[in-house]
Amino acid sequence: MFGIESLLVVTVVMPLAAAVLTALLGPRLLRSQSHWPTLVALAISLAASLLLVWQVGEESVQAHSARQQEPIPPTHAQPHPLGYERIITLWTWTGSPGPAPASPTGLTRSHRASDASNRHADPLGPRPLIEVALRADPLTAIMLATVTLISFLVAVYSVGYMHGDPGYWRFFSYIALFVFSMCMLVSVSNFLLLYVFWEAVGLCSYLLIGFWYQRPAAAAAGKKAFLVNRVGDFGFTLGVFLLWMTYGTLNFHDVQVGGHTQPGILGQTFLQQPEHYVGGAVGTAIALLLLAGACGKSAQWPLHVWLPDAMEGPTPVSALIHAATMVTAGVYLTARCLPLFLATPVFSDTPVGPLVVACIGGGTALLAALIALTQTDLKRILAYSTISQLGYMFLAVGTGTALGVTAGMFHLFTHAFFKALLFLAAGSVMHALGGVIDLRQFGGLRRHLPWTHTTMLFGCLALAGLFPFAGFWSKDAILVSLSQQEGLVYQVLVGLAMATAFLTAFYTFRAFFLAFYGAERIPEEAGHHVHEGPAWMTVPLVVLAAASLVVGAYFEWTHGFAHFLAQTPSLSLTGLAAEGPRAETLSHQNVAWISTGIVLAGIALAAGVYLGPRSLLEGLTRLSRALGAYQISYGKFFFDPLYQAVVVWPMWLVARLCAWLDHRGIDGAVDGIGNIPRSLGSLFRSLQIGVIPFYALAMILGLLVLLGALMIG
Amino acid sequence: MAGTMNEYALLHNYLAVGAMLFSIGLVGFFTRRNMILMFLSTEIMLQGVSLSLVGWSRFYDHFGGQMLVIFIIVVAACEAAVALALIVVLFRQTGSLDIALWQRLREANQPPWQEDQPTPIPEEPVPEWPRLARAGVRPTEPPENADFRDLL
Repeated sequence: MFGIESLLVVTVVMPLAAAVLTALLGPRLLRSQSHWPTLVALAISLAASLLLVWQVGEESVQAHSARQQEPIPPTHAQPHPLGYERIITLWTWTGSPGPAPASPTGLTRSHRASDASNRHADPLGPRPLIEVALRADPLTAIMLATVTLISFLVAVYSVGYMHGDPGYWRFFSYIALFVFSMCMLVSVSNFLLLYVFWEAVGLCSYLLIGFWYQRPAAAAAGKKAFLVNRVGDFGFTLGVFLLWMTYGTLNFHDVQVGGHTQPGILGQTFLQQPEHYVGGAVGTAIALLLLAGACGKSAQWPLHVWLPDAMEGPTPVSALIHAATMVTAGVYLTARCLPLFLATPVFSDTPVGPLVVACIGGGTALLAALIALTQTDLKRILAYSTISQLGYMFLAVGTGTALGVTAGMFHLFTHAFFKALLFLAAGSVMHALGGVIDLRQFGGLRRHLPWTHTTMLFGCLALAGLFPFAGFWSKDAILVSLSQQEGLVYQVLVGLAMATAFLTAFYTFRAFFLAFYGAERIPEEAGHHVHEGPAWMTVPLVVLAAASLVVGAYFEWTHGFAHFLAQTPSLSLTGLAAEGPRAETLSHQNVAWISTGIVLAGIALAAGVYLGPRSLLEGLTRLSRALGAYQISYGKFFFDPLYQAVVVWPMWLVARLCAWLDHRGIDGAVDGIGNIPRSLGSLFRSLQIGVIPFYALAMILGLLVLLGALMIG
Repeated sequence: MAGTMNEYALLHNYLAVGAMLFSIGLVGFFTRRNMILMFLSTEIMLQGVSLSLVGWSRFYDHFGGQMLVIFIIVVAACEAAVALALIVVLFRQTGSLDIALWQRLREANQPPWQEDQPTPIPEEPVPEWPRLARAGVRPTEPPENADFRDLL
């Protein structure tokens, strides 16, 4: 039917076209109809990406069965390719094909220094061959489908939510630009281009957080997000440099150069012989630097502080960028680069790389869940739950097994649905209440907002992870993958994950009960008539609620997700895919029972505290205040003041010092030199009196002096 | 080259007249405040210089000096056009030809050398100009030209 190449290109290019079109025509021509280019383009992208998933699935199954039926074991020179990938090279951006690698495995680590014949005329050495290459493999296809589906629904919702905003066309132009960047981010096959679009989504995030730039809080939040991300991106940059230094290429895939194969970092050559990955200190450094970038983008500790502030942006943006898609880029990066993480030195039976990923993820999950317990801003509660769930995904990817990565990606997939749903429902509440989102100011909205109430209930149940909602299946998969890991660290992490599940159920339903149950309170800003949004807003909510109910169960029962994702080359690494469960400390069913019990306990506690007698809530609050736990949680573990004191103030002081040196030192020297002629001139300035005969006299006197000097000399 | 005493005497006469012309011009330039008279003084200085150049030219029997004089005459003609136009413009600005009125072109923060006022014109009886025989109707002049003529 359609070729994979054209499907992939259409998926990626349509949002770009919509962004350009809206930016050009929006302010003058389209005005309040500015959503049409974006809607149409995203619908086409969505259709193309779904077809792409189907095509990739078909072809990968065919390739897999062909491999199974192969009677003769492959020769050493031409082994079967691992998994399924299709590379689409659009054009060459820069560089020239590098020299053929000297060693058969293609380790180009030292050829630049040792092999004189490989020296280019370029004194800087060979430039990296950067081809604008897209890749189609199961991981990319899943990410593309998730991104385009959620962004289409969010765009539909935004038509209702952003109606009448003065920056209407700007909003849709940014959204389309973001979708383009995100699609490119997940489909490029090169670390440099990955970095480019990594920054592009960060830029879109900045633009959309600060969308209402007249509000100082929004402008500050955008700046904070950008700067905190910059810290992580600096690590990512260094990681990319180190990859180029170590492997001599930045491509994911193998490139054929003049009859030789230049192996890509995540290409077949390396994947078939993973022992050739550079380990040791360099490998660890690469893994940790890439992890730093992932932590920044995915708001993991210690770079998590920007995401709650990012809620200053419009709510559809929070749903799309800061919950469902962009913040999952870090998980995508970690999953994509899993072979690099696995190449790190082994510490207590597990490579260090995944272990660090798991620890950061588990710690962040618990930390964010603890903070979310006491927040009063509905969107911020959801933001902390996003951080917490992203921590879950890191935890899963950090197991370093195929099972774990599949569980992490599955959670990413289901989380996109129910977290987008929750944010859009929160936006619906804001829309009805005239922008009020503080849980202390409203309550008991159940009767006024029936659709929002029902859909948000679905979202909360999915987030809490109750059977049979989507969150249950993916969280369950994560817990199972964790419980099958050996080692004390992972045992502790299972405990952390269980505790987080309990807290998640509690704080989710705390917010839900506070918003929709109890005494009816309507803030003044809402006006006299609290109402549901238009159909543009309710239909996406219903679609997402339905998806939150079924996607998890469907893909879990059909095993479609796991089988599909297992065909990703970098995840079908030798020794990774074939690995069975290593330790059966907890059976699958037991995990499911335990987590369900925990979730029910959390919901029951929330119901008891917030729906039950008021004395229970007051007693609990007083107890936690006396212990200081409330203040710590409410103060977000004081990360903001800490960073203010440790990072911002010293930087501010250094900046002031530099400014002082610039003004007084450097400018002073320059101005001083400039003042010398002026002060010399001021000596003679009194001669300039404006009387012409005096000037003539001075000339004559000067002439006489010269003549006299001539006569004497 | 002529080496006779006669030639020396001739040169001396030339140079003496040239030096006198130059000195007259110089003193005039220093003492006068009327821009046209100052301009005429510079012209007189130029003629003095030109005359001495001609004298040297004859003394050395060499045409370089005379060529230079022709150049001076040409340049002086151009300069006269420019200077007179400039004077007309300046006159329009102030209604006076007094150079002292342009003291404001001094460096800032300098005190005025003297008052920014034209020197009062002494009340002299207007001399009786010789009258020409009438050759038709005398053209009527606009009243603002009348006092302008009186100043001359």
